[in-house]
Amino acid sequence: MNLERVVFGFFIILTLSLNAAFVLGSIETAAHHNVWILTLTIIVNLVAIGLKLGDRSQTGALLLASGLVAGFLLITARVVWIVAEPGGGDATAPDDMADIVSIATGALVANIVATVILVGDTLLARR
Amino acid sequence: MTPTSDLDRVAMIVLRYMRRPLFALLFVYSVGIIGMALMPGQVVDGEATRMNLFHAFYFFTYTATTTGFGELPNGFSEEQRLWTILCLYTGVIAWFYAIGSLIHLVQNPYFIQAMDGFRFARKVERNAEPFVILCGFGDAGSLLARGLSDHRMRAVILDADPERIKALGVRDYTVPMPGLHADASAPKHLLAAGVEHPACQALVALTNNNDVNLKIAVMARHLNPGLRVVCRSTSARHEANLRALDNVTVVDPFEIFAQLLYWAIARPELHNLNAWFVGARGVALGAPLKAPRGNWILCGYGRMGYWVHRYLGAHGVGLRIIDPDVDAQGDGEDTVLVRAHADHAALVTAGIDDAAGIVVATDCDADNLSTLLSVTELNPAVFRIVRQNSHENQVAFDAARADLVLQPSLTTARRILKLLISPLVQELIDWLAEREPSRTEAVVARLQATVGAEPPHLWSVRLIPGEAPAVTRYLDSDGMITLGALCRDARAFPDALPCEALAVRREGRSIMLPDRDFPLEGGDELLFCGVHWVKPILQATLHNPYTLRYVVTGVDAPRGYLFAWLDARSQRRRSDHRLAGRR
Repeated sequence: MNLERVVFGFFIILTLSLNAAFVLGSIETAAHHNVWILTLTIIVNLVAIGLKLGDRSQTGALLLASGLVAGFLLITARVVWIVAEPGGGDATAPDDMADIVSIATGALVANIVATVILVGDTLLARR
Repeated sequence: MTPTSDLDRVAMIVLRYMRRPLFALLFVYSVGIIGMALMPGQVVDGEATRMNLFHAFYFFTYTATTTGFGELPNGFSEEQRLWTILCLYTGVIAWFYAIGSLIHLVQNPYFIQAMDGFRFARKVERNAEPFVILCGFGDAGSLLARGLSDHRMRAVILDADPERIKALGVRDYTVPMPGLHADASAPKHLLAAGVEHPACQALVALTNNNDVNLKIAVMARHLNPGLRVVCRSTSARHEANLRALDNVTVVDPFEIFAQLLYWAIARPELHNLNAWFVGARGVALGAPLKAPRGNWILCGYGRMGYWVHRYLGAHGVGLRIIDPDVDAQGDGEDTVLVRAHADHAALVTAGIDDAAGIVVATDCDADNLSTLLSVTELNPAVFRIVRQNSHENQVAFDAARADLVLQPSLTTARRILKLLISPLVQELIDWLAEREPSRTEAVVARLQATVGAEPPHLWSVRLIPGEAPAVTRYLDSDGMITLGALCRDARAFPDALPCEALAVRREGRSIMLPDRDFPLEGGDELLFCGVHWVKPILQATLHNPYTLRYVVTGVDAPRGYLFAWLDARSQRRRSDHRLAGRR
């Protein structure tokens, strides 16, 4: 067992799980989506990217790329939320909410790709 | 005269051939269009309207091609209709004449040949993969093409026989193999086949004619002095000429045959290893044929018989020769000659009863098979080696149940394939042939232990950045990799993969059978023999720096910057502790 693999696997799979937790629910209903989960997903994703820096193997490069895609989309979703949020504590409008959740769903796809690569690489190495 | 390309030639043929039909079309069109524009049309407001030139051209176009939309853009007057009838007949006839000429041209055999040449040259020119030029597509040529296709190596094929090139089109090769029916000794055809192409690896001259082969080799030498040439030759005179050219390898099918025959009789373990390497049918490693020593009978003393006699005589195998035209000059005292066809009586005269073995090697398959029948009747215990000349007779030779069937075209194709794909294999076999048999037996034992009963897979790897980036980088950063370390299995750490490195080529020298502690250097070419699934795993070790570091050191190094930093820090702290403890 390799400690680095444990740590990296933890962060990659945690990003995927948090991302799924955020995206699930009706796409337009603000009450189904928690801004804290989205923020936490971004942080965990950034940690996963940081862990992959410096890997010279091909799979490492691919994991870094998918992490960057997910990070880019999640941050975009968060920025859209900040811009769209009306003052005075009202719920975000349904059409803005749909934008935010669909961008986060894109990030979910990138995270699924990263997890598949990670699992595949580990299974192929067979050690 | 300026040199012309194939495209220029094809274009010129088309233009010259189509000149008359094109002029006919032009004339009919001009007359028709001008006439149509001049004909008075329907009367509107008391004045006859006329078709303008564009409308006349439009009308003529759809009429002459028999499309016939009707009277467009306006209804015609009677004068215009009269002219239309004329336009229709002349226009349609001119069109048919032009199209007929074109079809006639396309069916012209010279035009087809020029077109084939042009397409072939374009296909070769656009090909970026490495390829071999193969001149002569007979028995040996087609076997060689099949072998190249199995190794995913492309070939460009030239043959003077159009039927063979047609047959090439229906073969199921794994890679494209363009072929052209042309005389390969003409330099323009060699150029079309890509003799100057940067991806051209070698030229193989395999036609049945020694003069043609020599001519091809000489032409290729002049056109591209750096190109490797493999040339078939069966005459001493041509061989002497060819040997004077550098970069030319001469392959004599009869000599190869005799050499294999000699190995089968005197060096069974080497013959067995060689047959196993080339993947001959029904050969198991470590189970050599047991050819008896004693007196042998040779039927057929032509060019091949001469080589057989020379090889066997030089190694102390007594021979009795049966041949109708044998001459006695230059033969030793222990050689018995029987001047006859190898029939019942001749075999008895040659002493088949007390012979250890018989080599039936005439150039006629029917004679060889009938001699085998007589031999089986006279002395069933004798060891029988037979020469099969034509690939078509395979089934008959299988049914004859000789102890060994040798097919010159097949042995030649295999030898050339070895020279092209993995020259180190042939070097290894030649190296083993010069040494005592125990050394070969040691190699066989080693291979049996690693590969076992699996079919062998031979491949070579060069330690250059393109093929083994991880290894070259590791060596550049002052790392040391031994052969044994490279062949470790990353999935089960100190265990070795089931493969053996048989030879290393370094700076033009070859090191045979390196041991496990052999240190590798950048630029080495390694020849591996192993189970087929080892290749991708070894490939992963050669490409992935982490896997390589793991098999060499046994330590799974950290990959990211963060863990590399943590690792370095903990090591520093450990060494600090050790220093402090020592103090």
